[in-house]
Amino acid sequence: MDEATPTSGVQEADDLADLFENAPCGYASALPSGRLSKVNRTLATWTGYPAGHLVGRRFLDLLTIAGKIYYETHFAPLLRMQGFFNEVALDLVRADGQTLPVLVNAVVRRDEAGEIRFIRITVFNASDRRRYERDLLAARRAADEATAALRELNLTLETRVAERTAQRDRAWRLSQELLIVALPDGTLESVNPTWAELLGWRDDELIGRSFAAYTHPDDLAATLAAFAAILERPLTVPYEYRFRHKDGSYRSFAWTAAFEDGRVYASGRDTTLEREQADALRQSQKMEAVGQLTGGLAHDFNNLLAGIAGSLEMMQTRMRQGRVEDVARYMAAAQGAARRAAALTHRLLAFSRRQTLDPRPTDVNRLVAGMHELIQRTVGPGIPVEVAAGARLWTALVDASQLENALLNLCINARDAMPDGGRITVETANARFDARAARQHDMPEGQYLALCVADTGTGMPPEVVARVFEPFFTTKPMGAGTGLGLSMIYGFAKQSGGEVRVRSEVGAGTRVSIFLPRHHGDAEVEDKVAAGPARPRSGQGETVLVVDDEPTVRMLLADILEDLGYTAIEASDSAAGLKLLQSDVRIDLLVTDVGLPGGMNGRQMADAGRARRPDLKVLFITGYAENAALGEGHMAPGMAVVTKPFSVDAMAERVRAMIEAPRPA
Amino acid sequence: MVFAHGFGCDQNMWRFVAPAFEDRYRTVLFDHVGAGGSDLSAYDPARYATLDGYADDVVALARALGVRRGVFVGHSVSAMVGILAAKAAPELFDTLVLVCPSPRYVDDAEDGYVGGFTAAQVEELLNFLDSNHMGWSQAMAPTIMGNADRPELGAELTNSFCRTDPDIAKRFARTTFLSDNRADLENVAARCLVIQCAEDVIAPREVGEYVHRNLPGSALVLLDATGHCPNLSAPEATVAAIEAFLRG
Repeated sequence: MDEATPTSGVQEADDLADLFENAPCGYASALPSGRLSKVNRTLATWTGYPAGHLVGRRFLDLLTIAGKIYYETHFAPLLRMQGFFNEVALDLVRADGQTLPVLVNAVVRRDEAGEIRFIRITVFNASDRRRYERDLLAARRAADEATAALRELNLTLETRVAERTAQRDRAWRLSQELLIVALPDGTLESVNPTWAELLGWRDDELIGRSFAAYTHPDDLAATLAAFAAILERPLTVPYEYRFRHKDGSYRSFAWTAAFEDGRVYASGRDTTLEREQADALRQSQKMEAVGQLTGGLAHDFNNLLAGIAGSLEMMQTRMRQGRVEDVARYMAAAQGAARRAAALTHRLLAFSRRQTLDPRPTDVNRLVAGMHELIQRTVGPGIPVEVAAGARLWTALVDASQLENALLNLCINARDAMPDGGRITVETANARFDARAARQHDMPEGQYLALCVADTGTGMPPEVVARVFEPFFTTKPMGAGTGLGLSMIYGFAKQSGGEVRVRSEVGAGTRVSIFLPRHHGDAEVEDKVAAGPARPRSGQGETVLVVDDEPTVRMLLADILEDLGYTAIEASDSAAGLKLLQSDVRIDLLVTDVGLPGGMNGRQMADAGRARRPDLKVLFITGYAENAALGEGHMAPGMAVVTKPFSVDAMAERVRAMIEAPRPA
Repeated sequence: MVFAHGFGCDQNMWRFVAPAFEDRYRTVLFDHVGAGGSDLSAYDPARYATLDGYADDVVALARALGVRRGVFVGHSVSAMVGILAAKAAPELFDTLVLVCPSPRYVDDAEDGYVGGFTAAQVEELLNFLDSNHMGWSQAMAPTIMGNADRPELGAELTNSFCRTDPDIAKRFARTTFLSDNRADLENVAARCLVIQCAEDVIAPREVGEYVHRNLPGSALVLLDATGHCPNLSAPEATVAAIEAFLRG
């Protein structure tokens, strides 16, 4: 045989040996005892041990500790019992300590007698497969986790939504405030149970109807306006109005609201109790003030009455004694006391804003100029009074004499604030407040004439400034001031459609400004009629109807009229007065009290009389201004007003002027 | 005569041994809960976290069968289960055959006790159990055990001799290898035979000798067999040892 063609037997043996040694799997044979008898090169290479080193050792010696245990408790018994095992996943521990994942098959080879010849062990490198399995398991686990997480999310989402919904529902149910959802037209779409509790209405009695149906009629216009504004911007400053309870009474609620996505969402806090408490507090404060006022008045009046009554008594005594020359002294004293009493009631009425104002277009610069000397004399020589008159000053529609009083009062206050001397400045100016300036100065928008009195005195801290308009608030020592001055000025300014503002700084002085609305028109120049020494007398038999329920006043008026040469007819109530007005008796002038018994007031009687005598002249006399009855100072032509108490001269002058005036058209 | 299998496999472990006693004894073979053909749903991880759970089962089983003064043959961890059962109900068994027993698998350096495993090795085992399905290919394991409605599939894929739920096997391993029943060796009334293999990585000779030493009056037979299962690898020798003890 030549070498190129070896015998097939040798070749076959070589091939088999090569296949055994270098197969892509590990081969090992083990004896019945489990000890390895033969190991191929592939397995030896994988373990890192020489094949010879492995012979004589047991297969489980190559395993990890867990592998050893499982091999002994599971796979070795299995091999014994069924003669083989397949695809057992184990880890081999290599010589370098690294592990190699393998799959192991084993089969018991027996001889014909059934005795074990050897155990064939086949080992596959399972590195790749183990990695695939790991990836596969990781992917499956990730998928399972994602599914579980999703399921969990779905479950908790539902729970969370349910919880939140329940929470919102509780907030809606348990709120102590009224809650509503309403359409932009005011139709109630949803109301919370508090409505039933606070107002007695059931859901179905409210839903589908407008809140306006339950709103107090007096509040309705303002409330509709406030509601309409919500559609423009949220209502954050609570708006309060009265809502009808099912029992017919009204409850006050302060509302805040916002408009979103076609609906108005609003909540209302019950302020009924607060309001009642505030009203009660106001009432008690008012009663306290009235108590102080009446107490003080009684005291002052008693003083004055004592002077008057005492003087009258003394006059009687002197006249009886025939000491007529002494009468004049007591008469002057009584008249002085009576004048002071009149001034006192005037001040009171100004404070109550119920004085009868006689507003006329007035040139305030001329008024100030006329007062300058009087003011200077009043405050004394130590304090110069300067006047800064604004140029082209507007005209104001104001009661000039009250404005004079106010000015004098302010100057006296200014003097009192400067015990160590100083300077008073009286200033006039035009002032325009547009929307922005009005906001800035806390003034209603408009055009004003400003009359300001500034001093260089002690000034006032802010907490005092905040209270200066309160009645009876005074910083002056007991007995030095009534505390009514500034509050009267405030009342007068408000009644004249104006405002008063005070700016003060401690140590720098105070500035009080009266703002009066601009009047578009020229000032009336008062033509002072030189008062003649003799009262004007009539000779044409003019007849005057006097209606007053107070007999003394009636008698006094009648006497004045008689003295003037007029014929006086008297009536004590409106019914009697009207009867005369509707008769054919000559009546050139009606002089009547405004407050009358007999079913009508003076104004109504006069109007009724004018139905019969359209050109009837009327002079009203009033103790305090029944302004409503008189039309807030706007007199119809041929009508005029005089306030009690009046001086005989003034009354005579007024009556004569009216009778002599042409009859109204 | 009650035969109890250990950790791994089931009552098939006794297939070469139990028949030898059938002519003289009523032989009782059973699968622990969680193994073999037992009702897996009866497995309660808390109950079987210690060997007492298994011992209670043995007592209940023996009582139900009316066993009195019987022979208990326990392999591996079931050797200790038998001791616990015999102490709990002494009337049941007067003879205990302990095949490859171990009261504690971990060495205890303080007492100079040799269990065969260092603490580190047991740690490695437990970590491995936590992260792996042992033995069977991981991807296969869910298939093996995941077909509750087709149990024959699982049985086919593994085999009919060694059915094990991988998850329960992990727990059983933990219970077994963390057990320490050395104190239970005291005051055992029954006669005891300790059968020890010459080369056993799970229960080395020192352990068998320890058990023998701590069970007064016990007999120790050392078989010239390798491995942990002489009942499979050397059934004739095992039977002979048991018979000799029962006779004596």
